[in-house]
Amino acid sequence: MSTGSVTEALLLEQLSALADGEMDPAAVETACARWRDDGRLRASWHAYHLIGDVLRSEDLAIEPSRDMAFLAAVRDRLSREAVVLAPAAAADRAGSDGQTAGANNRVVGAARRWPWVVSSAVAAGFVAVLGTFALTRQAEPETAESRTVVSVGSPTLATPRADAGVAAVPASVPAPAPARSLALDESGVVRDPSLDAYLVAHKQFAGSTALGVPSAFLRSATVRTYGR
Amino acid sequence: MTAADADAALVERVKLGDVKAFEMLVVKYQRRIERLIGRMVRDVDLVPDIAQETFIRAYRAIPQFRGESAFYTWLYRIAVNTAKKSLMELKRDPLITETARASRDEEDETSRVENELSDGETPDAVLASKQIAAAVNLAIEGLSDELRQAITLREIEGLSYEEIAEMMDCPIGTVRSRIFRAREAIAQRLRPLLGTRLDERW
Repeated sequence: MSTGSVTEALLLEQLSALADGEMDPAAVETACARWRDDGRLRASWHAYHLIGDVLRSEDLAIEPSRDMAFLAAVRDRLSREAVVLAPAAAADRAGSDGQTAGANNRVVGAARRWPWVVSSAVAAGFVAVLGTFALTRQAEPETAESRTVVSVGSPTLATPRADAGVAAVPASVPAPAPARSLALDESGVVRDPSLDAYLVAHKQFAGSTALGVPSAFLRSATVRTYGR
Repeated sequence: MTAADADAALVERVKLGDVKAFEMLVVKYQRRIERLIGRMVRDVDLVPDIAQETFIRAYRAIPQFRGESAFYTWLYRIAVNTAKKSLMELKRDPLITETARASRDEEDETSRVENELSDGETPDAVLASKQIAAAVNLAIEGLSDELRQAITLREIEGLSYEEIAEMMDCPIGTVRSRIFRAREAIAQRLRPLLGTRLDERW
């Protein structure tokens, strides 16, 4: 306490308590604001923690200039980050007691898994749509009489055999959309009008492969249909 | 550090958009995080970069931190994951000491590993470190019994003010004052080593 100021000594004592997590939460905001503006408080904050580190382990007696350079670098990067704002989360935590903490943990756990589930579901859905597309295209009336080249993009999908009957093909493929109501058209092929409409609108995907599968996995099959 | 997380108040401030509160946490933990990463990564030049990346990742993820573990435990995991990811990206072999492997929790700081030189520090830096450590130890010896006991129970034993008050049979306010006075006394001894114009540089 080189200056001997009573006010400053009080502030430093509060900072010392904050370092130990023993400060009145209502006073933390003021302490943070003062820390921001007062170089003496910042230096003391560093010194208090350095002392604690050295008392626990002497190999943490790091030269302060290194610590300062490190903070300057982090500060620089933080200035380019979007400001964190999670008032809802903060209020939630402040209001949560021991009982709700468990529930919160479960919610957090589910949220952490969520991105993986979403991406997997999207990928699986896309494969299913393309698989159905490949199968239904074989039986379209305008192409029934001609030779149709069917590309199946994923090696994990069952590839229609050239000598297999068209009606038997859907059975060899995992049901792509079990919740959908499907209808048999006049050629005996499972059709879904909404899927047809979707595929007409997305013809650019007709020749492409799902999920960027390398072209080495492409297989071509020639199918002759017997409907007409 | 004991029942409640000592950093909870600062973490709440960060969640409310107070970046300076996060800087305070950086100042508090940067040495421990750098030492941890230094034990995992062979290339000493990478240590500061990975440590910085650790703090930036923690800052981005802090809205999801719910306090189910202590902040430092959470930060520790982020540091380990960041170091592993960096090593994988660089296709380098990780060097994890048995000490680091064995201490995956907050007790980490109690394990003393004499590896100053493995941190890639210059001889000058090592000398400065030894001077700082010596100054702290000397200052501790020079404290009155009350102050020394208070700061030791807090920093080494990790007790709360309430627990220290019970042990020392005095009010919590007295504990707070004793710990503060002990810190200031040690800091006075350190100040010549920490640089004269430190206030402005921080």
